[in-house]
Amino acid sequence: MLGAAKHKQHAEAPARADALAEIVLLDHEGSEVTLGDLWSERPAALVWLRHYG
Amino acid sequence: MHCRQHAVQLNRARDEFEAAGVDIVLIGQATPRHAAHFRRKFELELPVLADKDRASYKAAGAKVATMAELLGPKSVTAGIGHAVKSRGAVRQGKMIGHPAQLGGAMIIKPGGEVVWSHMSEDASDNAPNEELLEAARRAASA
Repeated sequence: MLGAAKHKQHAEAPARADALAEIVLLDHEGSEVTLGDLWSERPAALVWLRHYG
Repeated sequence: MHCRQHAVQLNRARDEFEAAGVDIVLIGQATPRHAAHFRRKFELELPVLADKDRASYKAAGAKVATMAELLGPKSVTAGIGHAVKSRGAVRQGKMIGHPAQLGGAMIIKPGGEVVWSHMSEDASDNAPNEELLEAARRAASA
């Protein structure tokens, strides 16, 4: 139901963002953004929303 | 509902993040069109990235919740609290994306070190803005 997990999972951020850095997403205007570019020059805060609802 | 409230609160604090020298970006699990609609609807100025495949969620270590973590008393109580505080302006709407996918937040420094994180343990568990902002200030000053 709702795609919920059957067993409790453990959420844990990685110590390094190397895997994230390679990911390319589209922004709200449809432009490509390579995540690693976000913190290439200064710190970045990334916030993952649950959903848009 | 929790994510709407969270996004609105972060958007209000955007100048403080900018003053700290930290860029803040929201990521949602849908298409760019959904992201644009979400920004317009809640008058967000923060950038919103679209991650329909949830690749970044997986790389960030975000988890998929159990039913108890989605609809347990803690989550429901917090949702009612958000609706009351916002006087009905923030309420649950149509869900876009995987309903059980949880989110989180992290601060990443140049070079790729994750210096702070808060990954959600249930549907109501968002990083307090003050905590996120304080971590941002520390990251920028270190």
